[in-house]
Amino acid sequence: MKDIRILLSGNPNVGKTTLFNALCGVHQHTGNYPGVTVDIKEGKRQINNHNIIVSDLPGTYSLSAFSPDEQVARDALLTSNPDSIVQIIDATNIERNLFLTTQLLEIGIPMVIALNMCDLADEQGISIDIECLEKCLKVPVVRIVAREGEGIDKLTDAIISVTEKKTACKHREIEYPHSITTHLSEIGDYLSSSASLLGNLSPKYAAIRLMEGDEHLEKMLHDNGLVIPFIDKCDPAERDGIAEDVLLARYRTAEEIMTCSVKCTMGRVMPADLIDQVLTHRIFGIPIFLSCMWFTFQLTFSASAPFAVAIELIFGYFTEAINSIEMNPFIRSFLADGIIGGIGSVLVFVPSIFIMFLLLSILEDTGYLARAAFVMDRFMHSMGLHGRSFIPFLMGFGCNVPAIMATRTLQSRADRIITIITIPFMSCAARLPVYVLFAGVFFGAVAGNVIFFLYILGIVVAIVTALAFRRFVFKGEPSPFIMELPPYRKPSGTAAGIHMWYKGREYLKRAGIVIFGGVLVVWALASLPAGVEYGSAESLAGSLGQLLQPMFTPLGFNWQLVVALIFGFIAKEVVVGSLGTLYGGEDILESSLAADPTLSPAIALTFMVFVLLYLPCVAALGVIKQEIGSLKWTAIAVGYGIITAYIVSFITLHLASFIMGA
Amino acid sequence: MVPLSLMRTGDKVVVRNIQGTGHLAKTLGQLGIIVGIELTIIQKAKESVIVRIGESRYALGAGAAGMVLVEPQL
Repeated sequence: MKDIRILLSGNPNVGKTTLFNALCGVHQHTGNYPGVTVDIKEGKRQINNHNIIVSDLPGTYSLSAFSPDEQVARDALLTSNPDSIVQIIDATNIERNLFLTTQLLEIGIPMVIALNMCDLADEQGISIDIECLEKCLKVPVVRIVAREGEGIDKLTDAIISVTEKKTACKHREIEYPHSITTHLSEIGDYLSSSASLLGNLSPKYAAIRLMEGDEHLEKMLHDNGLVIPFIDKCDPAERDGIAEDVLLARYRTAEEIMTCSVKCTMGRVMPADLIDQVLTHRIFGIPIFLSCMWFTFQLTFSASAPFAVAIELIFGYFTEAINSIEMNPFIRSFLADGIIGGIGSVLVFVPSIFIMFLLLSILEDTGYLARAAFVMDRFMHSMGLHGRSFIPFLMGFGCNVPAIMATRTLQSRADRIITIITIPFMSCAARLPVYVLFAGVFFGAVAGNVIFFLYILGIVVAIVTALAFRRFVFKGEPSPFIMELPPYRKPSGTAAGIHMWYKGREYLKRAGIVIFGGVLVVWALASLPAGVEYGSAESLAGSLGQLLQPMFTPLGFNWQLVVALIFGFIAKEVVVGSLGTLYGGEDILESSLAADPTLSPAIALTFMVFVLLYLPCVAALGVIKQEIGSLKWTAIAVGYGIITAYIVSFITLHLASFIMGA
Repeated sequence: MVPLSLMRTGDKVVVRNIQGTGHLAKTLGQLGIIVGIELTIIQKAKESVIVRIGESRYALGAGAAGMVLVEPQL
């Protein structure tokens, strides 16, 4: 059995993941490159005596690497030394894709081109001369329809045959102007004496990258004490000029290949233009978007509700079963409250998260989400954020965890950090039970208005936070909004399903372990020292609450509220459950709260504001750490949340006392 | 030459200059928005635009659209 390592490369939205799924089926796992949060998926396909190992790279337009996902793709292409590179090209838009081809050809690794969506190209009257394309590029080209699994066998045959050739591959060269080629050979000659520094890059290719302005490579060479001929003598303006000449040479080559091999036989109709004009309309765009999102959320919650109820029932049954067995009460509590309670609190979120991912990936597949980002960009821009931040914010009202994961599509690190820090202020579904309880007990008829006020307060705090961080920490503008709008396509159920499975599984893996661990810690705090009643004043949690209570005196919280806040760190809805335990049973909780002389409507409101703002739950915190990749920023996110919660709650208490007292 | 952000829906224009350098200009270059290329403006919302080049559509926020100087085609 011979291993063949291939990299799947291509522009975004050309069907890379579909081809990957067609190639590898279910034999795949997600690998995560250290320090970077953009995934490279790996999978396998066995054919005859060959074991093809496929890595699916993030979609890129070029190898210049401006954003984290592009960097991952570039590093894999330039340093992992695969046996072959497979570029997927959208047959309906060849010219656009050939720019990347001109860069991949030069790497000098055997290449195969998979011409995808050939059925759509035929429908649109685009005729592609495959032989001519192969001759122009000196690379095998295979027609495929990844969605239907067509042409996959031919593709693997082509991959095996290019990797078995003994001779060095001779791809088409890019015709650079004379002014460039002389310098290229000068730099190339110089670099060949220090070829060991270049790793897998040939000196000639390294020279081209330097001319294109690869800062990474240039810095590496400078750090090793090299003085690069010509390049080091140019001023920045000259460098930009050269980089542009290289760019133009690539476009000229792409155009030449295009004109010889692609003929369009039909006049094009552009219904997409019309759809775009409606969906992104200056006035209608926003209401269309909001109703689309409203519908998505309604569907998420109504479709997941029966599953969540079922899960609760099943776990309730387990708990009962354990309670009916004769055993040591300490072990029983560990099994019932710790293990079963812990797994239950992880699983109860799973249906809504899976369904939300499913709906969002269907929306994304149709091409609409890119339009929505454009529609919201102006509004987000005025808040110091990027248009793409809007989707994560919206998801945050459901659950902060997938929302934080969704910030990966943001290219600039500053934009990502600001978005991640502000997401926890979006009042997630888990906080609602707390509001319902307190608003119901203390505000009666106006409870609905109070809850609405809390959602608005969260948004206001988020806006202020974003503006403040943009003004004082990440100075300057959010990165400019430039985005390709993918063609409208009919979403495929299987593709969306696979996507949902990946995302959902990732959530389970990451958040699940954290939530479960957190629940066990709280269980221990609530049941130790051995023999105390679960969650009582004598337990460790009770002692901790009483110890910390003085810090919350300015906010008017009694020790029970403080303990509930500590428990709320696991998941916000745990606040209600733990208050139930502390007040002697959930069935009498409402009357006990109403009768407690240390509480008042003002304090209840303050408590709800604090719950809204204070701290992301353990799961969200775990994901924040994962996505930001820095302990410092995670600490800042937590500290900022707690301080903000304290200050806003303090103001709330005094304003509320003043207004209600008057 | 006028900035792309001042054009109207339906206009056909040719890119004449891209102001500034750095990542923004390079990003535009990689997307094929280069000097000499013809664009059709298919949407205009305040200063943001959506343009089409051949079969590809790109959305440009106000900042990016202001940097692309174009010449309207009749």
